[in-house]
Amino acid sequence: MREDLESGKDTSRRTGIRPLKVLTMHLLEVKGLTKRFGGLTAVKDVSFHIDEGETIGIIGPNGAGKTTLFNLLSGFLTPDSGTIILKGENIVGLAPHKIVNKGIARTFQVVRPFHHLPVIANVMVALKSPRGAKKIEWLKTMERKAADILEDVGISEVMLEPAENVGHGILKRLEMAKALATEPDLLMLDEPFGGLNPLETDFLTKSITRMHLDEPSRAILVVEHKLYALMKIVRRVIVLHQGEKIAEGKPEEIANNKLVIEVYMGKGIQHA
Amino acid sequence: MVLSYLRRAHSSFAAHVFDIPPRLMVFLFLLILLAVPITGISDYYMGILTSANVLAIFAVSWDLLVGRTGQISLGHSLFLGIGGYSSALIFKYYGLPIWITIPLAMLIGSLFSVLIGFPCLRVKGPYLALVTMAFPLILYRIVKWAPLTPIFGRVGIIVPSFFHFLPIRQQVIAEFYFTLILLFASSVIIYKIANSKTGIVFMSILDDEVASQACGINVTKHKLMAFVISGMFASLAGCLFVHLLRLAESSVFLLTVSFIPVIITFLGGIGTIYGPIVGAYIYSILDKYVLGQMLPNLLEQWQMTLPTEFEYAKLLIFTSIVVILVIKWPRGIARYTTDRLEDLEEARDLDERGPRIWKRYKQKNRN
Ligand SMILES: Nc1ncnc2c1ncn2[C@@H]1O[C@H](COP(=O)(O)OP(=O)(O)O)[C@@H](O)[C@H]1O
Ligand SMILES: [Mg+2]
Repeated sequence: MREDLESGKDTSRRTGIRPLKVLTMHLLEVKGLTKRFGGLTAVKDVSFHIDEGETIGIIGPNGAGKTTLFNLLSGFLTPDSGTIILKGENIVGLAPHKIVNKGIARTFQVVRPFHHLPVIANVMVALKSPRGAKKIEWLKTMERKAADILEDVGISEVMLEPAENVGHGILKRLEMAKALATEPDLLMLDEPFGGLNPLETDFLTKSITRMHLDEPSRAILVVEHKLYALMKIVRRVIVLHQGEKIAEGKPEEIANNKLVIEVYMGKGIQHA
Repeated sequence: MVLSYLRRAHSSFAAHVFDIPPRLMVFLFLLILLAVPITGISDYYMGILTSANVLAIFAVSWDLLVGRTGQISLGHSLFLGIGGYSSALIFKYYGLPIWITIPLAMLIGSLFSVLIGFPCLRVKGPYLALVTMAFPLILYRIVKWAPLTPIFGRVGIIVPSFFHFLPIRQQVIAEFYFTLILLFASSVIIYKIANSKTGIVFMSILDDEVASQACGINVTKHKLMAFVISGMFASLAGCLFVHLLRLAESSVFLLTVSFIPVIITFLGGIGTIYGPIVGAYIYSILDKYVLGQMLPNLLEQWQMTLPTEFEYAKLLIFTSIVVILVIKWPRGIARYTTDRLEDLEEARDLDERGPRIWKRYKQKNRN
């Protein structure tokens, strides 16, 4: 409890917004999270916190444990030790669908569309979840809401196509639309820029920024192994390396951090 | 040149001829079936069609679980048997009329599917198929168990026909209409469920269970729902069968019975409603008429008879057909036909909407 208050004060000094709320609790607080696969420790004693409305990036080379961390936060894996506190409640051990309904939604690094369903029905699956259904505005149909979400991510023109017929760029955005449909308090995007061309990357960056403006209380956690794409959208970056958190700070600070540059082995972090 | 012109002319002709909306197609199909008794075909053939109606209910229920939700069950005879035995037992001990035994059998069937669903749905894919296979065999043993013979009978439980108060010809006709109406009602209900928003969730589980969970869907709950609905309609089919055969007996729990909906659904087309229905008629006609009547008659002309083991060979024949279908036409006969009709529709669009569609049409045919 003391620790909570202390770290709370710390944040309030740094961000200077909503001191009262921040003082009481973070949106998400992760402490000492560890996950082993046999002899390999994929996530090692990772601690961090996320506040309401923050945009945070997690970077790290391939195999750093970013996806594993996502799986732990979203309940697809259970940690060997550590706690994950969402709005004051420990969510370790909860089933993935329960966590979604508590307000954490995620996308997958490798897209997972429902191939047999039309694009719009893919989104309707998420709207059929308890949280998704509850968040549909009064007098609005599920179809209307799904179409609106697709409009927001810019793929409404293909909404009736079966998901198996659309391209990768669209599936990437569909992945985001599905996560957005439950109106999460924390949106976690696993390498949203992976496999996108510069034009699509640019579009996605813009839509994430716009999304954040539309819904300022929603926190966004973006995982990338490239820093440059993240720089524009996040305010704070956490660096993972071999499962350990090796640095945390503003993007500019991270780009000049010696340890981080070393980890990327002189490749030059800007272009990694 | 000439050939391509002819092909185009033919396809545009066919497209116009076959330009029947699905609803009307269903209506026509139903009309033909309704008219069957008027043609005065023999009781035996009427019986084949009646059992096809019931098999269709059975297969449609299997398809909801397997074709729509992706939960492979190879033990669906369990529900057929439970439906049958519960209605037979209710009749034996309480003598209740059919409009009470049928819903009661369905209720008991759904209760059993909840009970069995919990352990079964903890496992996935091929393991699920194996686990589901075991349950009917257990019930087979229970029903055959000597101390329980007073309850389940030595040869089975004898029950009356639904329309035992009518003369035999009318009985057969009444049974046909009765099962046809129930088939129509069940398939409309299952169609509505499959195309509802819950049906969309079922499809999402079929496609990707993990992604479905990530959408906030309680996957176990929805799988159980599909299991219960499927079990309920399979018990209805079981109850109908018992009263058609006038006997509830243990062989219903055998593995061969569990394969019937698999054969039927792959014949017609998996993941559709019309597929299993069309498949059930094809199967019944193949099974009872072609293999059961035509073939023996043909052989008789050459002074030959079928060996008694032929019953077992039938299953081999059907499984071979299924294997060929899965490889050649994985979407089944009915589905293949509707897909061709859709292609024709596009060909017709080509006449009306010009070359853009034509390009797409050609592209589609190339792939
Ligand atoms: N299910 C698993 N079983 C065993 N090892 C795994 C599993 N998932 C990930 N790993 C290992 O954990 C490490 C971190 O993987 P991952 O989290 O996918 O990294 P990143 O997303 O940062 O590229 C890798 O070495 C990977 O091989
Ligand atoms: Mg990864």
